[in-house]
Amino acid sequence: MRFIKTKEKGLTENYLELHYNELDAETREYISRLDNTLANIEGTVDDRHISVPVTDVLYFESVDRKTFACTEKMCVEMRDPLRSVVDRFADTGFLRISKSAAVNVYKIDHLQGDLNMRVIIFLKNGEKLIMNRGYRKEFFAELEKIRGKSRA
Amino acid sequence: MKLITRKNFFTIACIAFTLMVTFKLVFEKLMGHVDRYYTENILLCLGFCIMIPAVLSVHYYLQRFPFLPVLIVQYLVVVALTIAIVAIVDTVSGTSTSAFADMIVSVTIPYFVGAFIYYAIFFRQVKKANAILNELVNNKE
Repeated sequence: MRFIKTKEKGLTENYLELHYNELDAETREYISRLDNTLANIEGTVDDRHISVPVTDVLYFESVDRKTFACTEKMCVEMRDPLRSVVDRFADTGFLRISKSAAVNVYKIDHLQGDLNMRVIIFLKNGEKLIMNRGYRKEFFAELEKIRGKSRA
Repeated sequence: MKLITRKNFFTIACIAFTLMVTFKLVFEKLMGHVDRYYTENILLCLGFCIMIPAVLSVHYYLQRFPFLPVLIVQYLVVVALTIAIVAIVDTVSGTSTSAFADMIVSVTIPYFVGAFIYYAIFFRQVKKANAILNELVNNKE
């Protein structure tokens, strides 16, 4: 499959268009990945219903059995448990960093190790998250997989 | 993930024992040294090769605690067990006056070399992950 990027001046909203003759397995795979990437998450903020693009989410966090999707501006309370949210958006770049949090790898600025073998995750908005030692190996392995996919 | 499990515990102990004994024999051959306490030392090697993986395998269950205190406490446990083993051997067959100090040095050096390697691998992993993250961001842009 070819991927063509075209710069158009004066365009008010970016769009993706897929041209195909037959929906083969490869095309279906791309569509399924795009469906997840372009998906919105639904939730509430101060009893107001909110819909946020999943790509804006910095991390998902579970506090007192409630799941929150945190963006730069707000934390949206979701209905789904953290595990199902992470399973659903795993292809979008969300990786578990502890029992109660999953981070969007595309929102990470850099990682830093400390003497206690914990990894401190610095997000692009300046927030810091802590990755537990138990999740480190899986995180690095998944990061390699994401790199493999992005190279393909 | 558990690095040392019930299934691979004896495999790890056996590999460690083989390496330790091979190193001992090669070192003695090169130095022309004759071990007068050969049997005792081989049995001591076996004891350490079972004891150290056993102590390290507990590491998985201590992941919620900071690493440095865990490392230090595990080291103290290893030293305490070493002293206990030497005390038992001393009672059974007698040891030299410097046996306790020698054995503590013998477990301290590999323990901290191991810890240093563990740290080096960890910081290398973090560096590699940062390179991957940069690559992902550049690809996206």
